[in-house]
Amino acid sequence: MQFEDIIRVNELTKKFGAFYAVNRISFNIRRGEILGFLGPNGAGKTTTIKMITGLLRITSGNVFVKGLNVKKQIKQIKAFTGYMSQKFSLYPLLTSLENIEFFGGISGLPRKEIKKFQQQITDMIPVKILKQKIMDIPPGIKQQVALFTCLMPDPDIIFLDEPTSGVDPKNRRDFWMQIYKLKKAGKTILVTTHNLDEAEYADRIIIIHNGKIIRQGEPSTLLKNENMDSMEDLFKKAVTDHETN
Amino acid sequence: MLELDGLCKSYDSIKAVDNISLSIAPESLTVLAGADGAGKSTLLKIILGLVKKDRGKIYLDQKPIGSDFSKITSITGYMPERFSLYTDLSVEENMNFFSDIQEVPRRRREDLKQRLLEKTGMLPFKKRRAGALSGGMKQKLALSTILLSSPDIIILDEPTTGVDPLSRIEFFNIIEELKEEGKTIIVSTPYLDEAEKGDDIVFIKNGKIIKQGSIQSLKENFPARLFRILPEGNIFKAIESIRADDEITDNVYIRGRYIKYMQSGTAGFIDRIPAKEVKKVSPTLEDIYLYYERNINAV
Repeated sequence: MQFEDIIRVNELTKKFGAFYAVNRISFNIRRGEILGFLGPNGAGKTTTIKMITGLLRITSGNVFVKGLNVKKQIKQIKAFTGYMSQKFSLYPLLTSLENIEFFGGISGLPRKEIKKFQQQITDMIPVKILKQKIMDIPPGIKQQVALFTCLMPDPDIIFLDEPTSGVDPKNRRDFWMQIYKLKKAGKTILVTTHNLDEAEYADRIIIIHNGKIIRQGEPSTLLKNENMDSMEDLFKKAVTDHETN
Repeated sequence: MLELDGLCKSYDSIKAVDNISLSIAPESLTVLAGADGAGKSTLLKIILGLVKKDRGKIYLDQKPIGSDFSKITSITGYMPERFSLYTDLSVEENMNFFSDIQEVPRRRREDLKQRLLEKTGMLPFKKRRAGALSGGMKQKLALSTILLSSPDIIILDEPTTGVDPLSRIEFFNIIEELKEEGKTIIVSTPYLDEAEKGDDIVFIKNGKIIKQGSIQSLKENFPARLFRILPEGNIFKAIESIRADDEITDNVYIRGRYIKYMQSGTAGFIDRIPAKEVKKVSPTLEDIYLYYERNINAV
């Protein structure tokens, strides 16, 4: 089967002063896949995502999203990408419905469209909760609202940066079922996580460390190749191998 | 050492801490496990007098503290979820600064600083600016600063949230060493794998304790049979089709490449689940959490 690469990352580099946060990494993301992006804190995961989504200037290298150059055509790219940041950036003093209105407005959606989205979310979450301030609602729901706002312009490509950090085991699983639904709907998803059991839900994973890719492939193949039973062990080995070399 | 009796705290209509009673043994490691917003931080802040409780009593060594929280704070080191370090100062300068604040006697200072940085593995980075440390290292420095006052009780609020798996393991190794030295430690976390290190595990949800006990008693008294199933093909597809069966739907969930099936009653439906491989397994803390969490929802 042929895969179409929806994102091509080529020799991507980010320098902060003399420090290479991301150091000449190249990889592709295939249309319709869930790509798990793993690595220790400070490995360069968020920096990479921010460069791909145009939130951070690229020092050198290139990123093409659906053939469009991030350096030049970011506006067009933004129209079909969604980004959910770490600690999802909803406004705590606004209600869920107000947040939807705000983020809909930012994405340039017409008022009528925004109203439609506000209606849509009432099918998932009770109106009473949607009218409470974000700071007062449970984290599991907060996370659902955050995902919803990131899906508002109906993006083809979705970036989720540590969406399950601080979330309990039940809600983590519910969230992954939602990610799977998005995949079934044809979306391409890049997700970072520190919960290594979740890495096995991805079609492919990339482990990065010190700004370099140290492993990539299908989770089951990687485990088999290194004769390992758990992702924790694989992760540990990849990181220590890299540090001792 | 510490006794909490019927603690309550509400914000408007939300019960952040809802009638929590808990006994914390000296020289033990108590883990409060639950999601963001479960009430863990509020509970810890009530113990320290940082949040005023609505109701309930706190006892220290069997004596009620009343409203005199200094009895607790004077012997406690507290690391909040968002701890503060001076990012422009070096590791060593941060230690000096917090030594001043905590009035560590001058003659003891150098020796103590050296010992603590060694214990947390931060000695090689003594000269590094705190702002240039990785997430896991900042955590270890913050822990070092709160140890300067040589506290008997250590309270750590989600010290490892968002920290990568390897740094988390390292951090918990340090916590275990502190316990061996005789410290009484309370730590909150959303990660149930590291909660396994606790002597006493307390599951918290919606401000309530949903289950507590030693790891051994929780495992021995787990009231269900647990099966680990390797499905054919894609895990999500497999669980979707299994969940179509009403009698099974609430009893299955995913974990890595496996599906887990909890059989609570005598009637088992394991035969109705298509599988490449089935194995009866003993529960992890995550399984135990999911079991009791589910029962709460069912009530």
